[in-house]
Amino acid sequence: MTEHVIEVRDLWHWYLRGTPLQSVALQGASFTLDAGEVVGIMGHTGSGKSTLVQHFNGLLRPHRGTVRVCGSDLGDPKTDPRPLRRRIGLVFQFPEQQLFDPTVADDIAFGPRKLGCDHAEVRRRVQGAMASVGLPFDAFKDRYTFGLSGGELRKVALAGVLALEPEVLVLDEPTAGLDPRARRDLLGALRSLHAERGTALVFVSHNMDEVAELVERVDVLAEGRNAFSGPVREVFREEARLRELGLGIPAAAELAGALRARGVALQGDVLTIDDAVEAMWTSLSSPAA
Amino acid sequence: MDEFEFSRGITIGQFIPGTSLIHRMDARTKIVAFMILLAGVITTPSYIGNGIAFLMVLVLVAISGLPLGYLVGGIRPILPILAVYTLFNFLFLGNYDPTGSAVLLRTPVSIGPWEFAFTVTDNSMRQTAQGVFRIFDLIMLSSLLTLTTSITALSKAIESLLAPFRVIRVPGHEIAMIIAIAYRFMPTVAEELERLMKAQASRGADFGRPGGLRFVQRTRQLVPITVPLFVSAFRRAEDLILAMESRCYVGGAGRSAVALDRLRRLDWSALAVALVFTLALWRTPFPL
Repeated sequence: MTEHVIEVRDLWHWYLRGTPLQSVALQGASFTLDAGEVVGIMGHTGSGKSTLVQHFNGLLRPHRGTVRVCGSDLGDPKTDPRPLRRRIGLVFQFPEQQLFDPTVADDIAFGPRKLGCDHAEVRRRVQGAMASVGLPFDAFKDRYTFGLSGGELRKVALAGVLALEPEVLVLDEPTAGLDPRARRDLLGALRSLHAERGTALVFVSHNMDEVAELVERVDVLAEGRNAFSGPVREVFREEARLRELGLGIPAAAELAGALRARGVALQGDVLTIDDAVEAMWTSLSSPAA
Repeated sequence: MDEFEFSRGITIGQFIPGTSLIHRMDARTKIVAFMILLAGVITTPSYIGNGIAFLMVLVLVAISGLPLGYLVGGIRPILPILAVYTLFNFLFLGNYDPTGSAVLLRTPVSIGPWEFAFTVTDNSMRQTAQGVFRIFDLIMLSSLLTLTTSITALSKAIESLLAPFRVIRVPGHEIAMIIAIAYRFMPTVAEELERLMKAQASRGADFGRPGGLRFVQRTRQLVPITVPLFVSAFRRAEDLILAMESRCYVGGAGRSAVALDRLRRLDWSALAVALVFTLALWRTPFPL
């Protein structure tokens, strides 16, 4: 059996364990990720998505079950998770709240400097990271962090993680609270990151449209367990089950469903806007029904 | 153990709902009764008296139904200070004993130019033991109060207890509001701190190695956390102001309560028990 980059099996986690306020967050969740994959994790609020991804770089340790990342066993308390944090980049929800340096470039340079890179290497990494998120280096490097717009801040925060040049990028609700243009930019940046560097992506979201657009395979979590999983097209065929879990299907898929209900014959699965346009052109040019 | 879970260790500011006798008491009763009990704890000079007071605290914990271990957990952070304090008291307090009680131990020590003595007298030993008991009782009683009382009830109680002092211009309502807000946000800030530490650790920050006495490095490690923590605290404060003002909050003047709770029989009996206990503790001539 080949080694997965991330392999989680039967993972349990409790918050405030051993106190009267203890609550269970994960009850036997599993997850695997291979190099270069793009995987989505979907689930309703409180389903354990964020808890699960915090195990990937050793911020949380398994209370029960196994977590193996890049070949090291995080269930072993002697395993030092710090080297893993360079390889698995984790971008938290609302990451712009973690910025602290007055200028953009210095904040992005925090990670590489902590890695002990020399000046030239730090500069190269900061430039690279800013280029991947679409921030022009010369225009932004000396801008004040606290004077940027929300979308720009989000990009700076993302660049701060990308500057570590991780093999796997885990993003927890990366587009929450962004306007449509900033969302599109961010998804575009992620897509090209995957295409150019082969970075594996774990995309945590409950925005169905973005999941449909970006990822290949989806894991659906509910109450700390895997509800079901599979290739994105198959998962979105299970509309009834998704609705039951407080999720839904992409807007384009809903539109297609409504059109079919009115007797328009659309071919194939419709998940994204592109799919929808394609299907409508086909159905208009060959009005078989 | 989980590296970043701070909220676990914070028992202060938490409220654990329940239905025990102590939970059901009025918050004013609890504050006053605990103050009366504390008066008893700090006035009894005897070993037996202190033991009885400590037992009383344990009985109260048992009545409240809270796990004893969780309450004791709140003491853990101050244990090192308590240990040093107790050790110093034990060794040196006897040097300054004005009562002239029996000297149990006296060892002169000289290290280089310094000359001093370890002295333990009957009275200093008593005071050392009392110090430990009092701190334990104090912390247990005050955590018992906050763990069994919701913040709303607590701030209402403080406001109503401070009401008589309005004639000398004590802003009771404002004090209660400040306490309530401070308590309300303690767990929130702890959570925020946890999140920030995790986020910065994901970017390569390292909080794991204390490195002995390297204060400068340790302090510099904290910059990536404290800056965002303050930024978000200010942002939160501004949001709170907006939220309060948009609900027409203008301070205490002219505000009245929805429910006027009168003290019930349970409250009066609790107060009476506390008073009797304290008086008895104070008046009983314990042999030791």
